[in-house]
This record gives sequence, C-alpha cells and structure tokens, in this order.
Amino acid sequence: MSLANESVTSGHHTTSGGMIPNALDSAAERSAVLELRDISCAYEPTRPAIEGITFTVHQGEILCLLGPSGCGKTTILRAIAGFERVTAGSIALSGQLVSSRDTMLPTEQRHIGMVFQEYALFPHLRVEKNIAFGLRHLSRTEQQAIVDDLLMLTGLRGLEHRYPHELSGGQQQRVALARALALRPVLLLLDEPFSNLDPDMASRMRQDLHALLRQTKTTAILVTHDHDEAFSMADRVAVLNKGRLEQFDTPEAIYHLPTTPFVADFVGQADFITGVVTHHLVTTEIGDFPNTQHLATGTHVVVMIRPDDIHIVPTKGAEARILARQFKGSENVYTIQLPSGQIVHSSESSLSIYQVGTAITLRVVATHTVLFPQPPGSPPVVVA
Amino acid sequence: MLTATRVQAPSSLQWVSLFTAALLVFPTAYIVYVAMTAAPAVWTRLWSTRIPELLGNTLSLAVGVALTTLILGVSLAWITVRYDFPGRRIWEWALALPLAMPTYVLAYVYAHLMGMGGPAEQWWQLLFGPEARLPSPQSFAGVTMIMVLDTFPFVYLLVRSALQNLNVSFEEVARACGVSPWATLRRVTLPLIRPAIAAGLALVILYVISDFGAVSLLRYQTLTYAVYQQMTSRYDHAAASILSLLLVVMAIIFLMTERWFRQRSRFYQTSGRYRRSTRQHAGPLGTALITSYVVLVFGAAFGIPVAMLIQWSVEAISQGALDTRFLGFIWNSSFLAALAACGAVIIGLPLAYLASRRPSRLNIACLQAAYAGYALPGPVAALAVLVLFTHFAPALYGTVVVLVIAYILHFLPVGLQSMEPALQQVTPNVEEVARTLGCTTHQSLWRVTLPLVRNGFVVAWVLMFLQTMKELPATLLLRPVGFDTLAIRVWLESSEEYYQLAAPAALLIVLLSLPALMLLVSKDWRGDPQEGIK
Repeated sequence: MSLANESVTSGHHTTSGGMIPNALDSAAERSAVLELRDISCAYEPTRPAIEGITFTVHQGEILCLLGPSGCGKTTILRAIAGFERVTAGSIALSGQLVSSRDTMLPTEQRHIGMVFQEYALFPHLRVEKNIAFGLRHLSRTEQQAIVDDLLMLTGLRGLEHRYPHELSGGQQQRVALARALALRPVLLLLDEPFSNLDPDMASRMRQDLHALLRQTKTTAILVTHDHDEAFSMADRVAVLNKGRLEQFDTPEAIYHLPTTPFVADFVGQADFITGVVTHHLVTTEIGDFPNTQHLATGTHVVVMIRPDDIHIVPTKGAEARILARQFKGSENVYTIQLPSGQIVHSSESSLSIYQVGTAITLRVVATHTVLFPQPPGSPPVVVA
Repeated sequence: MLTATRVQAPSSLQWVSLFTAALLVFPTAYIVYVAMTAAPAVWTRLWSTRIPELLGNTLSLAVGVALTTLILGVSLAWITVRYDFPGRRIWEWALALPLAMPTYVLAYVYAHLMGMGGPAEQWWQLLFGPEARLPSPQSFAGVTMIMVLDTFPFVYLLVRSALQNLNVSFEEVARACGVSPWATLRRVTLPLIRPAIAAGLALVILYVISDFGAVSLLRYQTLTYAVYQQMTSRYDHAAASILSLLLVVMAIIFLMTERWFRQRSRFYQTSGRYRRSTRQHAGPLGTALITSYVVLVFGAAFGIPVAMLIQWSVEAISQGALDTRFLGFIWNSSFLAALAACGAVIIGLPLAYLASRRPSRLNIACLQAAYAGYALPGPVAALAVLVLFTHFAPALYGTVVVLVIAYILHFLPVGLQSMEPALQQVTPNVEEVARTLGCTTHQSLWRVTLPLVRNGFVVAWVLMFLQTMKELPATLLLRPVGFDTLAIRVWLESSEEYYQLAAPAALLIVLLSLPALMLLVSKDWRGDPQEGIK
C-alpha cells in the first residue's frame, strides 16, 4: 500500500526521555514533603476504594491527581488530610508518620491546608474572620497582619467585611484559598477547586492560583478530572483509574508517553492502530514504526497515534476517505476511514477545509512511538 | 404568556379572593376593635388584677418549656444524626410521635400518674418514705414537664434536619485549620444550627402560649385559660378581647421570630453538592447510655401514656363504653372535620392560586391575610367568631355554621402550606405545552393541572381534617348544645376524673393524629429547610 510510505522518518523517532523534561532529576535534591507508601483505603472491606498507591511529593512541587469520577482521587486527598483511615500502607508528612493501619494523627495536628470543592466558607463569619479562623493562638495584631497580607495576595482587599453569600464564586474561592494558606501549611490540598466556576473564570483563576503557589513556594496537591487543568497547573501528574495509580510523571510524559491505554485515552484524543512486529519495525496500515519495546517478531500490538501526529494529503485515487469534519474553532478534526475500515483522526489547522468523501493519503509524524500489547479478542491485524 | 393566563383566570376570581381575605381578617380586626373601644375601667381593672399574674404565668411557662426543650431537642437530634446504635432508625421516628398526643390527653394521663396517691407517688414513697412528695402536675414544674414532653419534637425535628443538611466540609475545614473537635463544635457546628434551634424554640413558645387543653385541665392560669373563663363564667367579651389582644401580639412576635430565623437558615445551607457527616459507632457503653436516655424520653412522652390509655380503654370497653353514643361522637367529630376541611380547601383555592400565578402585591397580601389564623389561639378564634355572630347574625349563634367558620379561620394556614407549593409546581409553561400538543383549555386543566395539584390538595384536606378532629377550645365554646365530639368527651370525662371513660376517645384521637404527623414529618425528613412542621 502506498498511502503510508512517508510515515516512517526515522529522525523523528526518539525513545522515552529525550525531549521530555524530567522532573524527577531536579526534584530529587529537594526534601520530600509527603510520602505515600503502598496505601489502601476501603469504605467496604471487600471493595477497596484505592489500593497500593505509592508516590512522593517534594518541597514546592504542584501535583495533580487526575482521573475520572469515582477513581479514588478524592479519597487519596482525604486520606492525606486525615479524614479517611488507611487500611494498609503508610503516609508520612515532612518525615513524620501520620497515617497507617494503627496510626491516625488528627487532622488539626497535620499542618495542612485544604480548599474544598464547594469552598465551605463559614456562612456565619465575615471574610476576615473566615481567613483568621485558624489563627486563634496568635495576638490580634499578628492575626491582622496575616489577614492583611493574604487579602493583598489574593486580591480581596475591600471585601473583608462581607459575608460569604455576598461574594461571587471566584471571590469565594479566593477566600477559601486565603484561609487555607493563613497557617502556612506544609502542604495545600485542593479538591476540584475550579469545578464550581464558569469556564472563563476557571482559566483565569488557574493562572492566578499557579502564580500564587509559586510565589508562596507552596507545595500543593490538586484533584481534578480535567486533563487540561492538570497539564497547565502541575509539575507532575498522577493518573488514577479504579483506585489504582496508572502513571505518575510530568505532564509532557503523560501526554506523549502514556504507559497504559487508559492514560493515553484519558489525557487526550488517541487512536489505537493494530500492528504486528516484524524485525525492528512495527508494521501497521498507516506505516511502520520503530519497535521501541524490543518485542519478538510476530507479536501483535496496538500503536497509539494522536490526531496532531497525523496529517492529511488529498490524493486522487487514494483509498482512505474523509468521513466527517468537526470544526472546533482553533482546529479542524477529521475522522478518516482507512481501507480496512479502521478509523483514525487528524487535527488540521482551522483553515484547512476538505470535503467529506475526499480521497487522501496520510502523513504520520509521530515524535514518540507508544506501543501496547494487543488485548485478546480485537480484530485481526491488517498489514500493509 | 400573559394573555394566556388572563384568559384562564378571570378577574371575578380577584374579587372572590379579596372578599375571602376580608372575611378572614374581619374577626381578628373586630376583636382588636372591641378591645380598643372597651371602657377604660375594664382596662384598669385587668391591668391591676389579672394581667400581671397571667402574663407572668404564661411567659415563665413559655421560658421554662423552651429551655428544657432546647436541651432535650438538641441532644436527641445530635445523638440520632451523629451516632449509630442498635434501633436508631426506629427511634428517629419514634421521637417525633409525641406530636400526635394532644396536650389535653397527655395532661389527663399525667394528672392521674403524678397526682396525689397516683402510681408515681406510691412508687416514690416506697423509695423515700411515706412523707416524700412529687411535684404536683398542677404546679409550675408539673405543667412545664407535660408541655415539654409534648413539644420537644419541634426542636428535635428542626435541629435534626439542620444537622443532616450541614455540610461536613465546614467541620473538616475547621480541623484542617488546626482547631480541635470540641472547639469545632463550639465555633462552627453550633453557630450553623443556631437558626434552626431558634426557629424550633419560637414554635415551642407559640405552641405553649396558645395551648388551652393542658392548662385548662390542670387549672394553670395562663392567658388562653383566662380568655375561656372570661367567656364562660363572666360572659365578659370586652375583657376577653383585651386578653386576646395580648395573646395575638405575643403570637405575632414569635411567629415573626420563627419566620426570620428560618429565612436566615437558608444562607447557612450549601447549595449544590455537599458531603454529609458519617455516623460514629456508639460502643457498648455508649449504646447503653443512649438507649436508656432515648427510652426514658420516649417512654415519658408517648410510651407510658399510650400504654395507660390502652389499659383504660380495655377496661372501659369491657364495661360497654363503645355504645351508640360513642359512635355518635365519632360521627359528630368526622362530620365537623370533613365540613371544615372541604370549606377550607374551597376558600383557600382562589387565594393560593392567584398568589402563585399572579403574584401581585394585592394577591400576596390576600394570601398573607389567610395566614392570620396562625396568630389566633383556639379560644381567641372562637371568641372572634362568637362576638362577630352575636352582633351581626345572632340567629346563627349556636349552630354548626359558627363552629365550622371558626375551624376554617383557625386551620386554613395548615392547609395553605400544602396547597401553595402544589400550585407553584404548575407553571404556565406546563399548561401551554399541553395546549401546543392539542389540548383545549378544559382538557389541559383535567390532564395536566389537576393531576399536578391533586396530591398537595389531598394532603391539605387530610391535615385540616385531622387537626379539626382533635380541636378542643373552639369546639367547647361554640358547639351547639349537647353536640359532643371526641375531644370534648375526653376533656369533660377527664375534668371529672373518669379516666377510664375518657380513654377510648383519647386513644382514637392519638391514632387519628398519626397519619397527619407522618405527612408532616416525612416532608421534614426530606431535609428541605424551607418547609418544616407547623
């Protein structure tokens, strides 16, 4: 078949690492703020909500827990905060054991800050009293100084005498943030902090929050189900599925080098093309890819391709066809049917418009080849 | 849209509703008028003799009951919401049951139990020697205890619903701010449920100052009892009106308090998603303590009284108490109650319909006027209707008509509370969509509007029917001669200390109150903070 001949341009292929920044190297020198070792939590004894979770967060780092609803990301956050008991494993904060099967340090002694999804501002207290809530042990002037600093930092000056119900969603969120930061927590936990805001507001608040966390050198864990949010905020991302940690890496590695099909699919649109290993190459319908995992010849695999790696070249007489075009403003996403019937997607610029039904060849420029063993029962491989 | 509504609601409806509202306000206004135009001598006599004592008695009783229900209600709500213990689900419901017990029934059972030579005193003397005395049920302590046992569920239910609606994130965020569990309770949880507590207490006080049954049986001098006495023994309508005016003013103050706190509590609810608190398992010791506390309260307020009523009823029935006369009392009660409930639904309909469909200032004012009955304790409602009819239509005095009008005036607010939300569900859009689907106005009324409002109206009817069944003071004052109802029989027999004879009717009243209670409580159970018990 001719349509895929251009696809393998060996110079573009790199194995894992290379262009992708590796946060692990720089983080290793900093001290660990939080260490989760093999923790499990269960609401019902037979069905663990999370199982065998291990990761470390270093000083000043922003970590996102990313996953679909019900994957256990909020449970992890609540276990760290001390609201849920762990049934196995251990949690250490600044080197001190805080949770294990037999240990449960009360939340108020953990020195963490928390921002809830619905903010949970005390409705009976004004903004300044909300922020100063945990500062009772300090003198009035010290409290006032901290509150003033935080009002300035979060841009809430002038609103200190309002009640929560007199604030907008974004303002409420900033009060919740200020309240959580007032005690200078060793770790800030944020549970879906942007989900109650409208999209425009959310993206502005994201930038503000990111700047604020950097400015205050706060170590933070943020729970979200939105991969865009995770990518724009995080130094590292932990992808969770069904209570298990699927991958823990930098946002770039998560996107380009997902280690499981679930991660590949969850963090962006991906197509999975069946292929078979022949010598040093993986042969698929849209071209050959390097056998990065050194699999034996004859192994059936799937290759992950993202729409931005596939480009359309209209070619008379070619056998692939455009099935549909979806205009998304900044891009056009084409659905393409290959001669075998497999479907792939291509992302083209906003101005590249082709008619549905156009015969095309594909140019595949994949920076990274991601291979997964083929699950049993999938359709037979069509080899070019 | 506006034209469509106009066609469906002709302006004659407006006149009907204005006229009804005027009729409903008139008795109250007339009492105020009679009180204000009473001879100055009557005022000075009352101020120098009766009023200080009556006000003192009424208010001290209200405060005593409020403080005790505060402790009982809040602690029981806390236990049932925050702890898990065997039988919790049953106790949650059981603790609301005392509301099904009219005060005169509870008072009459306790008059026997705690009275001179009664079972409680015999048991007490067995323990502490033959000279030991219990506080008499007629004393301040006795009346307070009986009223507490009857009213603590108001506080219990409102606080319970507030605790269930409390977003546990508030407490968690306090803990994350480094605050201990006790300080969290004091600084976060209690302030958040304070509006619910205040609303509950206002209801309790309203109930206490308007109560007639218990205070009349125990001969404890409060304002309501004094109004009754002025009307029956002295036939002094001017004096009765002056005392009533005091009562109405007090009632309005506590009604406003309750409304205000309930409004406020809306700010205290989180909108959207929230997390409920998890229950703590009570250990064996905790379970023992909790169970004995709950059993004690429930037993005193409902278990023991009902057991006594059953025992007495069995004795009375074996002596042939269930004769045709008894059936006649049941018929009288049901007949009056059905008449009043039907009348109230018909009268309430135009008011509620206009206020929900065309909420102009006038229409809302008309609806508010119908709620005036809330501020009228039973004897006052009776007095108002009585004074009005003796002046303007003396021929009707002593007939069932007067009585039914007093019932409607008194209980219409209970019905309106169910009718109003039912009508609000029917937006013009729902009817209009039926029209676009090919229904005529008439068909859309039958197929859309009526099915939507039916349940609310049935509930309103049932509530008003059951409330009327157990009504005492207005019936006592306005019934045609010899026309006895179940409630009247209970009151008359127990006034003469024929405990067995009063029991079958009392037991029947308690049983009949249960469905109404279930309707009210299940509304509250869903945890909607706007709707509560009344």
